[in-house]
Amino acid sequence: MRDLKYLYEFENLLQEANNELVKQAKADGGIALGYTCYHIPEILLNCGNCFSVRLRAPRTGSMDIATYYMSNFLCGYSKAILERAIEGGYNFLNALLASETCSEMNRSLEHFELLDLVDNDKFFVTFMDAPFKIEDHTVKHYVKQARLKILDKLTEVYGVDTSDEALLKAVEEHNEICRLMTEIGNYRKEDNPRITGYEYHILNLVTYCCPKSLILEKLRYTAEELKTREPDAKKNFRAKIVVVGSEMDDPDFTSLIEDSGALVVADRYCFGALPGRQEIEIKPGEDVLTQICLHYLRTSQCPRFMSHEKVQERRDYVKQLVEEYNADGVMYEQLKFCEYWGYERALASYVMSGDYGVPTAAVDRQYTASASGQLRTRVQAFVESLEIKKIAKERQAKENG
Amino acid sequence: MADLGKLYKKHTGVLKHREWRGFKDTMYDYWRWLITWKDMIVMVLKAPVSTVKGIWKYRWMASYLTTPAFIDRHVAGLRGSHLRIAHLHYNMIVKHATGLIHTSFVADEKINPKNKLSKKIILTDEIIPNEVFSGFPNLKVVPLQTLPIFLSSMVDQQITPPYLEVTESFGVPADVCPLPSAEAGVAIEDDYPKMGCCMIATNMPCDGSIMNSSFLDRRLKLPVHLFNVPLRYNGEDVQEYAVDEIKSLIEFVEKQTGEKFDWDAFFAALRNTNKQLEYELEKWDINKTPYPQMTGAAFWLYRIYYFNLSGGVDKRFLKVDKKVNKLMLKAYEKKTPVSKEMRHRTVVWSCPANYYTSFANWLENCWGMNVVMDMETMISYLKFDTEDKEQALKDLAKTYQRSIMRKHTKGGYRNVVDELWRIVEEYNADTVIMYDQISCKGMDGLAGIFDDQARERNVNFIWVKQDLMDPRTISRRDMREQVNKYMQTVLQEEPLDPSLVDFEDDLAW
Repeated sequence: MRDLKYLYEFENLLQEANNELVKQAKADGGIALGYTCYHIPEILLNCGNCFSVRLRAPRTGSMDIATYYMSNFLCGYSKAILERAIEGGYNFLNALLASETCSEMNRSLEHFELLDLVDNDKFFVTFMDAPFKIEDHTVKHYVKQARLKILDKLTEVYGVDTSDEALLKAVEEHNEICRLMTEIGNYRKEDNPRITGYEYHILNLVTYCCPKSLILEKLRYTAEELKTREPDAKKNFRAKIVVVGSEMDDPDFTSLIEDSGALVVADRYCFGALPGRQEIEIKPGEDVLTQICLHYLRTSQCPRFMSHEKVQERRDYVKQLVEEYNADGVMYEQLKFCEYWGYERALASYVMSGDYGVPTAAVDRQYTASASGQLRTRVQAFVESLEIKKIAKERQAKENG
Repeated sequence: MADLGKLYKKHTGVLKHREWRGFKDTMYDYWRWLITWKDMIVMVLKAPVSTVKGIWKYRWMASYLTTPAFIDRHVAGLRGSHLRIAHLHYNMIVKHATGLIHTSFVADEKINPKNKLSKKIILTDEIIPNEVFSGFPNLKVVPLQTLPIFLSSMVDQQITPPYLEVTESFGVPADVCPLPSAEAGVAIEDDYPKMGCCMIATNMPCDGSIMNSSFLDRRLKLPVHLFNVPLRYNGEDVQEYAVDEIKSLIEFVEKQTGEKFDWDAFFAALRNTNKQLEYELEKWDINKTPYPQMTGAAFWLYRIYYFNLSGGVDKRFLKVDKKVNKLMLKAYEKKTPVSKEMRHRTVVWSCPANYYTSFANWLENCWGMNVVMDMETMISYLKFDTEDKEQALKDLAKTYQRSIMRKHTKGGYRNVVDELWRIVEEYNADTVIMYDQISCKGMDGLAGIFDDQARERNVNFIWVKQDLMDPRTISRRDMREQVNKYMQTVLQEEPLDPSLVDFEDDLAW
């Protein structure tokens, strides 16, 4: 396949949290707001002259200092964020918007305050309380928290315009990004997709980690470019899979999977597009903030939601993705030491293969996966098993006439 | 007191003979031992067939046969009023727990199919304190996990590993907190009694227990209500939501059972809880003085037991409190030393290991470290309004936000870090036993901060690694060794009882 024009540039942008576009936006007077979790509505961090940066710690090496502060038993993502913060890698941030959604990340982000990690007098960290189910009073609570802990605080400290008009403008920009990402993502449903999982992963990460206004043009170009892109005549993969799981901002993981013979056609993980890159419909006459918050609560697939309906919905959603994207199987991935996904991975993969009849593999991984030979072997084995199943199915179909 | 270590058979921890504490105390202790057996036998006689079937059916039930040995471990070395106070507390726990076992087996549809009691039972997550259910006096509450795993793991350290192995074989990683993991194991093994008209699940205390609810839900197949308690509880901004959650829980129970919430019964229970709290605070006040009267494990074990299970409904707890406080005040007035030698006023912080609940007794007997306060005891101490309905619910909501393993591990680091230093100062402690529960992500995430701040305060800060429910990872002996090393190398002290410094109890209950 022909290379995407901006892919290399996008890859480079992902080499640093404080990348060229972030620097440019800051130089233009933008307010950089860091966050790590889907429970913080991204749109709210893009009001007025603010822009959101979902925190990553690319090219993480040693995590010795973070390990001193948070022991060996916490997930690599939370430790990598702390390590990078101690190194001064997030000094560009104006504020950090957090929610106490998982203990590990919560503790990691508390260190920003405890160790006074960001060199900026006006820098603040705020934690919101997020519900575990969706009912009228829990939505009310979530909206109240978003107003109090995010919007009001931004207005108070930085004088940010958080009016309904400003929110609607942020929604508009967000929706354009989502339309483009959905359009691009839909190519993954093709029999021989014209975009790889790795490429999509890069594009999607860029939308989370860079100021949206500064990438829109290039995304539009990429979408246009893809309209005429021809996939290689011979398929470069042996099986298509949906990846489901915990936080993943490492495109090398997707690359490793694809180098092992699988094609990632759907990304149902934190930092993925499913959910995350769906348009928000704002109905006139209804409270804008409530509608935004409700969108995040409804679309969230976080295992933290423990109500029966949400648990069921998560499984049904994965099954739906398998069908919609014509996948052969599902790979559940869990960041090592992630308490939520440790349980979810085990039970959901059991249910998915047992109750839904979808071939499933479950793996745990480190924050950076590129050097993992063990993981490669497991993916290869999964791909082989999917191939065998496919051959057996075709043979049976032939025998049955 | 010396040579307590020689009382036990190697490895098994079985007593060679009972401890000689002087004629009066030895006779008292022996009498109490007989009472424990009496209470257990009475439980069997009340429903002999169901109980015997329960013993055969459930792996965890056999652990309760070792209860007398559990109490022996926890009263080792105690004398006078301290011995009596501890026995009174443990006996109340035994009395209440045997009642709970009796109810569970009689209502168990696996043992007694089609029994009527089952439908009168609300199953709850064990971490939800019972107060809210006191408004349903015609219903019974059974905390689902308490008997099969939480309590049994305290009585018998060998009971949890098989359940952990089941969960791990299922695919859950071994690094998750072993408490919810073991609870999930009981569900996978189908080792929960089958009963109840509905289940109340909760997001308390932490991430692991949130996640095991899917495993329980899958096994129980009952209507489940999810009761949420806010995490960022210090702010008033979460209180409306917290009260709404309680109202929603009440509404669910009313709908499921057809019962109406009885405010009079609820207020009566809250009045009892308030009285119990007064007794509790008296104990704390005495422990702040140079003459503490209640150290060791009885303090926190009794506290967490009644906090969650009394709910102000069982008045027997009040009687025990009254008696205990009378003994305590009398001993305090006489300036009676709580133990032979109190070298270090100690605060225990973070979650204690279920498989070694008597660790505090060992600290006291071996090194003269008297635990004057601990994290589990220092849970909610808010009083309830007992007249105004709305205010009572607000108080209840705040109490739930400060419940076991929740108050300190959630809502921000101040609740656990700053709170520790406040307690150390208030109780004039010179030593902190800091449990490093290796799978507790909320506490692990502050390890370095604790270290940094302990250095600034110049207290003896002793990390004790443990794995909550799994003695295979870090054994009781390993836990003791960490303290021994600190005492011998850093403080260079001699033990009070050298026979306790190193002994093997890996095969003990």
